[in-house]
Amino acid sequence: MRSNPVLTSILIGLFGLPLVLLALLATGQYWRFPDVLPPGYSLDALARVISAESDLGAGLLLSLGIATVVSVLSTGLGFVFSRAVARTRHPDRWVTLSYLPYALPPVLLAIVIQPFIIRLHLSGTVMGVGLGLLMITLPFCTLFFRSFWGNQASQYEQVSRTLGCTPTQALWRVLLPLARPLLVTCLFQTFLIAWFDFGLTNYLSVGKVRTLTVQVFLLVGEANSRLAAVASLLLLLPPSLLLWLNQRAIARRVI
Amino acid sequence: MHTYRRLLTNLFLLFLTACSSAEQRDPATVLSQSWAQIEARGRNQPVTLMMWLGDPFINDYMNKYVKPEVKKRYGIDLQTAAGQGTQVVQTLVAEREAGQPSQIDMAWINGETFYQLRQIDGLLGPITDKMPNAKLIDFTNPYIGTDFQQPVAGMEAPWGNVQLAIIYDGKTVPNPPRSFAELPAYVKAHPGQLTIPNEFTGMTLLKSWMIALAGNPKLFQGKFREEVYLKWSTELWKQVNAIKPYFWKQGTTFPEQLATLHQLFANGEVAFTFSDNDAEVDNKVNLGFFPKTARAYVPAPGTIRNSHYLGIVKGAQHPEAAMLVVNFLMSPEAQLKKMDPNIWGDHTVLDLSRLTAGDRSKFENLPTRRYAPKRAEIQHLAFQEPAPEYMTRLFKDFRTFVIEAK
Amino acid sequence: MNRVILSFYALLIAGLPLAGLINALGYSVGIGGPLATGFTTQYWQQLSTETSLLVSLAFSLYVAISSVGLALLIALALVLNRQRMLRRWPFPALLYVPLLFPSLVVAFYLFQLLSGSGWISRMVVALGLTQTPADFPNLIQDGAGLGIISAQVVMAFPLFTLLFDGLYTDARLDELRSLTRTLGASEGQFNRKVAAPILLRRAAPTLVLYAIAVLGAYDVPLLLGRNYPQMLSVFITARLQRFDLADLPMGYLIGFLLTVGLMIVIYRTTRWTQRHAL
Repeated sequence: MRSNPVLTSILIGLFGLPLVLLALLATGQYWRFPDVLPPGYSLDALARVISAESDLGAGLLLSLGIATVVSVLSTGLGFVFSRAVARTRHPDRWVTLSYLPYALPPVLLAIVIQPFIIRLHLSGTVMGVGLGLLMITLPFCTLFFRSFWGNQASQYEQVSRTLGCTPTQALWRVLLPLARPLLVTCLFQTFLIAWFDFGLTNYLSVGKVRTLTVQVFLLVGEANSRLAAVASLLLLLPPSLLLWLNQRAIARRVI
Repeated sequence: MHTYRRLLTNLFLLFLTACSSAEQRDPATVLSQSWAQIEARGRNQPVTLMMWLGDPFINDYMNKYVKPEVKKRYGIDLQTAAGQGTQVVQTLVAEREAGQPSQIDMAWINGETFYQLRQIDGLLGPITDKMPNAKLIDFTNPYIGTDFQQPVAGMEAPWGNVQLAIIYDGKTVPNPPRSFAELPAYVKAHPGQLTIPNEFTGMTLLKSWMIALAGNPKLFQGKFREEVYLKWSTELWKQVNAIKPYFWKQGTTFPEQLATLHQLFANGEVAFTFSDNDAEVDNKVNLGFFPKTARAYVPAPGTIRNSHYLGIVKGAQHPEAAMLVVNFLMSPEAQLKKMDPNIWGDHTVLDLSRLTAGDRSKFENLPTRRYAPKRAEIQHLAFQEPAPEYMTRLFKDFRTFVIEAK
Repeated sequence: MNRVILSFYALLIAGLPLAGLINALGYSVGIGGPLATGFTTQYWQQLSTETSLLVSLAFSLYVAISSVGLALLIALALVLNRQRMLRRWPFPALLYVPLLFPSLVVAFYLFQLLSGSGWISRMVVALGLTQTPADFPNLIQDGAGLGIISAQVVMAFPLFTLLFDGLYTDARLDELRSLTRTLGASEGQFNRKVAAPILLRRAAPTLVLYAIAVLGAYDVPLLLGRNYPQMLSVFITARLQRFDLADLPMGYLIGFLLTVGLMIVIYRTTRWTQRHAL
């Protein structure tokens, strides 16, 4: 069971290649079959996107803000909710209910909840977007922590209570450290869900909450692959940076 | 236990019931104002324009030119929001059912959305009769005054005028088929080079092809006629199916989006693509996406030409400001800027004969389009857009009789 | 206390979707929506004529099950056979990378990589193996949905690997492994009879969730799939967002039925894993 260089390089290739190809597409001009590499390079597509989307900076901050709040809230609440679910007599019913937001086709979900968002006077607001995103991330976290609240965690909690811990102490000293790797993964995942959301954010905010994703996502699906590649890179870079910065932390905690 | 259950019920009810508060503007009162009153009332207001934001050239025109200009002229804070078509329709319906004023003031729409918005009575109007710049538009021009065979009647304001064009690569295709009649033989002789996108532009192509087959564009004017549709769509499917194995991927699949077809074209996998805007080829080449050998043309006997429009929402919170924006977008200055292929390349809706000599010469002396056909050359090759039912039926039947046919 | 928490949870996550589902039901019988004309069973009756819906359903199930199945096999193989490697640089971080790619970007990337005129095809041409885009095999937009499945597998298997790895540690399978080895079981026997079932049962909720996400995925099949057979989400979206408002009630109806159907499947699966929990 030694480290396998072949497997390692396959994985690095598999996950590194997209960035290489996207960068080539973004900078290569008039690149067509059968040229393996573009005949010329230029940063004009990047300049185009940056100049056309006037508030990319504000969008970046908005994206970061929404994704952070949503991920922290849903991870915290999901941790609590999944404990409550584990303690009921019929956890299966609660688990089933948690799947409801996913069982609706995404486009249908946005359309059918919009009337209620409007009635709550949240249409076109960041709050409305947050509520919509929580509907997706919260059940995710609750389901995610289900495996944690098995026998072991409950036993540890009981043992620590028997040994004289208050519920708060049991939470901070025993349960949270025990759940730390899961908490980090869950935070990271829900951050990404919120970060990359385009459909729900755009629909519920009637196009008014212009996160970075909303600003450049449209260009990814549109008729110019050079601009699409630039937009994809703009979307990927911030979370990649986050991963790179936290790489050690995340990696260590997963183990 | 009991109280908490009631609390929950109440919370749930709060979730579901309407609690209307924001100010609802009465359309009749809004429309009864004079232009001077509208100008006074519209100043220093925010306006939300919902539009398709998938093209950085268009976004650039809005952000760098239109927004600063309306700010400077009227103090209007123009916000663009991403959305189009059914999203606009569904949002307006939901807002009205909730008794709320709209988050959208105005929207960029084309024929089928206009049809849908008229179906749900979602537009404010007539609006153009008051606008000074609307006098520069010839509403008797059938390509402007009628939208999908429905009289515009002031319910939407023309913004740009475009025509379906075939784009090809001059390097691999020295002699493209010059007419719809030559198309089948060409495709048979050059398999794998052409396909039909299964979306709006593809349907415009099929409509043009159907009209060409019928040989009489007048048949498709006016209301939808079942017998005309059946007769000529059957002919169309016969032609398309006869050459189906010679389409890209042997006709086993068709691109679901125009973007996909454009990418295949840019990569050199197919030799043809299409555009609703006859001048699109220029800005795609300028950005190093399409090859420099890409050219656009209109096949004989012609293709569909139509206009796209701006509509003001009936429940708009700032209808006067929206009217000021619409009027500005129809001004010679804004129209001229928009027509430049280096900016956008969207043809003007103004009637050049109604402009001052100075303005007219500016329109006529724009740096000409390099790769797109000249407007004067395709003037006689235009069909009017038929009623919307032709499109919805073609879209359904293309799936039934071509895509799903064995 | 527990009840209050749970009710709050239910309200938050299910309140709006349930209310929305009731609305969708209303739209499907003509008592709501933009062109509502009053109660009608017309759309429910027309349901039997929607033959391509069944094709769509079958194709979607096939794609969802094979994608999740394949990703699961890869992840299990990595976790059970390459335990030590997974703990060494660069693996833990590497496995997070695919999570950074939104599905639209993955679809766009695979399109540019695998199409007839894509990057790989160009390399094959450079090697002198093919000449034209048409010579290259159909890896995307193919009849068997290979393009869609490969995109989904690439996105899913790293996540599953991380999940199984966490569960592996959590269930102390290493200790269990030494124990069974002492009792004379082979490595393979342990993996097949002990470790895999434990991991799968514990991961079942996430796996089901993921399969549903694949079933409802829109961007990937739109770009990498064929028009026919078509995945459900593309099929429904066409009804809800295309040119014809008269199509809306049928779109709502199909969406409503799909949701109810999925909820029944989910409930059954949950009950099953609950009963066989370890």
